[in-house]
Amino acid sequence: MNDRERRDFEAGLAQEVDAFLRSESTRRTFITRFGQMTGLLAVSGSALTAVTDWALAQQAAELADPSTPLGQAQALALKASQEGPKDGSAFRAVEAAKQFSGVTLNLTYEAGLQALDPRNFSGPMWEQLTGIKSAVVELSNPDMYSKPVAEHIANSGAYDVLDISPAWTPSLADGGVIAPLDDYIAKYMNKADLDDYHPLYKALPTYKGKIWGFFDDGDMFALYYRKDIFEDPKLKEAYQAKFNAELAPPKTWDEYNRIAQFITDQLAPNVYGAGHFRKAGSPGNQFDFLQQFRASGGKLFDDSMKAGIASDAGLKTLQSMIASNAASIPGNNELDAVSLWAAFLTGKVAMIYSWPPTGRMAANYSQSAKAINFIPQSQIAGKVGYAVVPGNPEHATGFNKALAAGSSNLEAAYLYMQWVTSPPVSLARVMLPYALRDPYRLSHFKSELYAGLFPSAKEYLYNLNNSANVGLLDPIMPGAQDYFLSIDRMCTEVWAGGDPDAALKTAAAEMNATTERLGVDSQKAFYAEFLKLPGATADNTVEKLGMAVKLD
Amino acid sequence: MADVATIIPMQTAGAPPKLSRLGAWTERHFKWVLVAPAVGLILGLSIYPLLFSLVVSFINYDFQVPGHAFVGLRNFKLVVFDPVARWSLVLTAFLSGTSVIIEFVLGLLAALAMVKSFRGRSIVMSILIVPLFISPVIVGQAWTLLLQRPFGPTNYVLSQLLGHEVTISWLTQAPWLYISLIAADVWQWTPFMFVILLAGLTSIPQNLYEAAELDGVSAWLAFRAITLPYLMPMILLALTFRLLDAIRMFDTIFIMTGGGPGTQSYTASYYLYTVGFTQFHLSQATAGSWLFLIFTAIVVTLLVRRLLKPEAV
Repeated sequence: MNDRERRDFEAGLAQEVDAFLRSESTRRTFITRFGQMTGLLAVSGSALTAVTDWALAQQAAELADPSTPLGQAQALALKASQEGPKDGSAFRAVEAAKQFSGVTLNLTYEAGLQALDPRNFSGPMWEQLTGIKSAVVELSNPDMYSKPVAEHIANSGAYDVLDISPAWTPSLADGGVIAPLDDYIAKYMNKADLDDYHPLYKALPTYKGKIWGFFDDGDMFALYYRKDIFEDPKLKEAYQAKFNAELAPPKTWDEYNRIAQFITDQLAPNVYGAGHFRKAGSPGNQFDFLQQFRASGGKLFDDSMKAGIASDAGLKTLQSMIASNAASIPGNNELDAVSLWAAFLTGKVAMIYSWPPTGRMAANYSQSAKAINFIPQSQIAGKVGYAVVPGNPEHATGFNKALAAGSSNLEAAYLYMQWVTSPPVSLARVMLPYALRDPYRLSHFKSELYAGLFPSAKEYLYNLNNSANVGLLDPIMPGAQDYFLSIDRMCTEVWAGGDPDAALKTAAAEMNATTERLGVDSQKAFYAEFLKLPGATADNTVEKLGMAVKLD
Repeated sequence: MADVATIIPMQTAGAPPKLSRLGAWTERHFKWVLVAPAVGLILGLSIYPLLFSLVVSFINYDFQVPGHAFVGLRNFKLVVFDPVARWSLVLTAFLSGTSVIIEFVLGLLAALAMVKSFRGRSIVMSILIVPLFISPVIVGQAWTLLLQRPFGPTNYVLSQLLGHEVTISWLTQAPWLYISLIAADVWQWTPFMFVILLAGLTSIPQNLYEAAELDGVSAWLAFRAITLPYLMPMILLALTFRLLDAIRMFDTIFIMTGGGPGTQSYTASYYLYTVGFTQFHLSQATAGSWLFLIFTAIVVTLLVRRLLKPEAV
C-alpha cells in the first residue's frame, strides 16, 4: 500500500468510524452490507437445499410389520425389484434405472393423503433401489392439470411424472404436454404385465392408437350395504309382504329407491335407507347422473355433438335421483363424500355407493393409519356387504401416471412409472391404509395378501372386479370438466326445488356452448375416440364386449 | 514549510477517497440504486402481470384450446352475455351490501356500549375481536359444522326452542343459504367495524358531551349532533375498507355452499375462480376480472371522494 492508498483508506476509515459513532450507516457500509446480505441469502439457499436433500435422503421407506399382509406385500415388492423374476417389469425397471442414479424426479401428486405413498413408501424405496431421488409436488386437483400446462408453455421442465385425470389425456397429448410410452414399453416392459390390468383399465390411457400413461387408481363405484339390516328376518318378512319380493341388494334403480324408502320408513330416525354426496362441487352429482343416465340408455351427445341430456333418459334419471334423495338421510343434499362416509360408518345409513376406500373404512382398516384417523371409527365393521351398483357403476375419475414431455430425465421418469405401477409394487401401494389408491390389476383383485387385510376383503375385491366388468368410464375428452360442472349445477338446482325439465335444458345449452367454444368438429373427433374405449357406453362395457373377468 | 507539510496531508485526508468507476457511478446514482429493488419488484410483480393480464384478455389463453390467437373483445363478450356472470355481480352487491350494513350497525352498537370503562371491559373486548384473527376458511368450516344437516346442532337447538321440529337446509335452500353466508361474514367482520368505530368514539372530545349535558340535551340528540358528525370520517373509512373486502367474498362460499345450489351462491370472485381454475378458461376469467375491477373502481372512487370531502371543507 503506497502513501496515497493509505491516506485514502484512512480517510474512508475515519468517515466510517465517525458514522459508526453517530449510529449512522454510510453509503459504503449500506452497499457492503446489502451485498453481504444478498451473498448470505444465496449461500444459505444452497446450504438449506443441501440440508433438505440430506434430511430427505435419511428417510427410509416406511414398512409395515413383516408378519402382516401389507408387510409381506412390501417385502415381495422389494424382492421382485431386487431379485426378479428377471423378466418382471419391476426388476427390469430397477436394473435399467441404476444408470440414472443421483438424478431427482419431480412427481406431481394430489395434495394430502394421496401424496403419502410416494413420500413414505414408494419414493424412498425407489431411491434405495436405484439411487434416483424423488421430489413430490403436491397440487390441488385442478392444478394437477393447469400447472403442467403452464410449465409446458414456459418450457421449464419442472415436472417429470404427472398424476393426471384420464379425462385430460387427449388435451395433454395433443398439446404436447405428455409423451407417448409405446417405445419405452417395447424396450423395457414385460407385456404380460400390461395384460394384468383389468380390461376396463388397460385401454383407458390409449388415445389415437398410442399409450399415454399407466392407469394407477381403480376408482370404481360400488354399492356398500348393511348385511345385518338386509338379513333381518322381520324386515325381510315385512318387505316380502309389502312388495312380494325378497329384500336383497337392488339390481335396478327402481328397486334401489323402493328399498331405501322401505328401510327409512321402518327404521328412521335410527337408520335411513340411503345416503348420497350431493353437495354442490362434490362430484357425487355428476358421477351419479352419468351412471344412471347411460344405464337408462341416454346418449351424452348425438351425431351432431348436441348434448343429449335434455331427453327422456335425462328426465328419468333426475326423477330417480329425486326419489333417492327423498328416501335418504335428512341433509342428504348437503353431504360431501367425507360426511357421507361418516354417516355410513356411524350406522346411520343402510346403503351408499361410493369409491373403494368405503369398504376399507367400513372394515376399520384405513383408520389403522394415523394420517386418516379424522375418519370416524367404523361401528359397522363386519356388517357390510358388497354389490354392484344397479345398472352400470361409474368409474369415477381414477388417475393415470403420465410422462411429462418436457422432462429432462425422460427415460428415468418412464422407468419409475413402470416400476411403481408394476404388479408387485402397485399391489403393496394399493394395500397402504392411507394412500387412497384402489385396486386395478387382476393380480390385485386375486391377491391372497390383499384378501387377508380384513375378514371380508376377498368379497370386496371380487365385487370391485365384477363392477369394473360392467363399469362406465367418465368422458375422456377436452371440456369434460365443463360438462361435469353443468351437470353438477343442474342437479343441485333441482335438489333446491328447480324444475327438472328446465334444468336439463339449461345444462344441455351450457354443454352445447362448451362444445361450440372448443370446436364442434374437434369435439366430435375426441368423442369418437372416447367411444372406442370399453366402458364408454352401457352398450360396450367390458362384459358386453366379451372381455369380462368373472370372480366369484 | 513545516506548517505546509502539516496542512497538505490534512487536506488530502479530508478529500473524498478516490473510487473505482463502479463506485463513482454508484455514488452519482445512489438514490436510484436505493429505489431500484422496490421499483423492480413493483414492475415485476404488479405492473408486468397487470399488463400481461390485459394482453391475455384479448387473446385465447385457454388450457383446453391450443394457441394464443387474438380474439378481440370475445372474452369480454363471453362474460357480459353470461347470465351466471350477471347474477354473480348482483349477488356480490347484495351479499356485500347487506353484510356491511349489518356489521356497521352491530359494530357501532358494540362500540357505543364499550366506549365507557367498566369492570371486565378488556376481557370482553378481547373476546369480541377474536373472530378477526381466524382464517375465513376456518370460519366457513366452523359455520358449516354448525349448520350442516344432519350433523349440525342448529336445527336441533331451534327445535328445542320452538317446540316443534325444524328442518331447515341452511346451506342448500334459498333464502336460508344467504342468511347463513351473511351470518358467517357478520360474525367474522363485525369486530373490524367495532375496533375502528371505537377508536373514533374515543377521539371525540368529552367536553362537548359535558356542555351538551349542561344544556340539557337528550342522549339521542347528543348522538345525532355530536357523535355522528365527529364519527363520520371513521364511519366512511370503515365502510370503505370493509366493502372493498366484502366484494371479494370467496372463502366462506367455497367451503359452505360450493357455489350451489345451481349457481345461486356464485359471487363475482367465485364465478371468476370457477371459470379460471375449474374450467381453465383463463382469458375469459381475466377479462371478467378486468370488468370486475372497473366496477369495483367506480364504487371505490365514489366512496373515497366522499371520504375525502370532510377534509376539503
